[in-house]
Amino acid sequence: MNNIVKPTLVLGLIALVASMALSHIKKITYPNILKQEKEKQERALAMVLPGFAVGDKVAVKLDGGEFVYWPAHKDESGAVKKAYAFITSSTGYSGDVVSMVGVDEAGTILGLSILQQGETPGLGARSVEVASKNTFWQTITGNAKEEGEMSPWFQQQFTGLNGKNKITITKKGDWDPSIKDELLSRNAITAITGATITSRATIKGVEKGMDSLAKALEAASQAAPAGAQSITGGAR
Amino acid sequence: MKQYWEELTKGIWKKNPILIIGIGMCPTLAVSTSISNALWMTLAATIVLVCSNILVSMVKSIVPGHIRIPIFITIIAAFVTIVELTLNAFQPAVYQALGIFIPLIVVNCIILGRAEEFANKNGIIFSALDGIGMGLGFGLTLTVLAMIREILGANKLFGLTLIPGMEPSSAMIIAPGAFFTLAFMLCGMNYINSRKKE
Repeated sequence: MNNIVKPTLVLGLIALVASMALSHIKKITYPNILKQEKEKQERALAMVLPGFAVGDKVAVKLDGGEFVYWPAHKDESGAVKKAYAFITSSTGYSGDVVSMVGVDEAGTILGLSILQQGETPGLGARSVEVASKNTFWQTITGNAKEEGEMSPWFQQQFTGLNGKNKITITKKGDWDPSIKDELLSRNAITAITGATITSRATIKGVEKGMDSLAKALEAASQAAPAGAQSITGGAR
Repeated sequence: MKQYWEELTKGIWKKNPILIIGIGMCPTLAVSTSISNALWMTLAATIVLVCSNILVSMVKSIVPGHIRIPIFITIIAAFVTIVELTLNAFQPAVYQALGIFIPLIVVNCIILGRAEEFANKNGIIFSALDGIGMGLGFGLTLTVLAMIREILGANKLFGLTLIPGMEPSSAMIIAPGAFFTLAFMLCGMNYINSRKKE
């Protein structure tokens, strides 16, 4: 009897203490975590829609899930240019690759930022890698060039592609400014070496998001008469 | 005093967790693609290892023998979650750098292995020293492995290119490269140790 009661009590007690400690720590850290996530989202918005005034977040129910997008606008030599940012996800090698994409009305991608991924370190996780152009020897001998603020090369190469057409994959090794024109003319990206699944998942996310955005905008324009749809509200 | 030193240093060579005991292979193979990954993983795993060793050795007297594993797992998992939540809330930069490594600590059987093998039988100070030593041994092995793989597989060191224009061997950066390198390291370790005995 004692063999059953005592272990049960001890295990129960330790589990109780552990869950109490965890729930307490969760309560302390939760507001801060929310704040960090909000800041992260704002940074991503500024990155995928450079120079745009971003409006309020719109959440719509679509195909059984929730689709989130932000309308934005920018004055360009008198004409108002509209653009949108949306959050999309697609299954990568381990879990979802969640990214935020900014597009203008023609479907040109203005920027892409991967918000969340759990890919293999050194392979798929290089989708968020910021690569320095300096070599090891330049750095240790103090000859490194100043590079300013750098953004991840994998995400950078989406800028300028057309999201409405099919984006293809080439395997040319790491992205480099010298292959930019060729990739743009073929509407292609160069995959991360050894992580084609991650590269493909990012593209699939863009395609899925473009579809959902088109549907969401159509639904919005049907709900409101043409021209009444304001995107100026809540500009930050 | 000598025994304290002994418990601290045994993890580095004599009882190296990866090369001699042969545990913790899973995170070793997964994160040894670059030196910075190896160093972050070492830091994350060592913190959890030391703390869980201390906790396990504190509660060992009230833990009934046959249900010790679920209890150790509860302690380790709770600890990993606490570290994750705290970093996420208060040290976002570190949390971002560690990212996937924090959940990966859970698959690191060095932590459960040391709780079961050492902390369950020894006092608090010895357990803490054992944790630090094992963390050091894990870290050193991981760093050497990652250095070889990063140089050969990515033509880089600390994320910086070594020889501009040279195409690296991508086999080294994917899983087979990890197995080859680890096999050579095990081979070298056993060779040195067998020479020592003679």
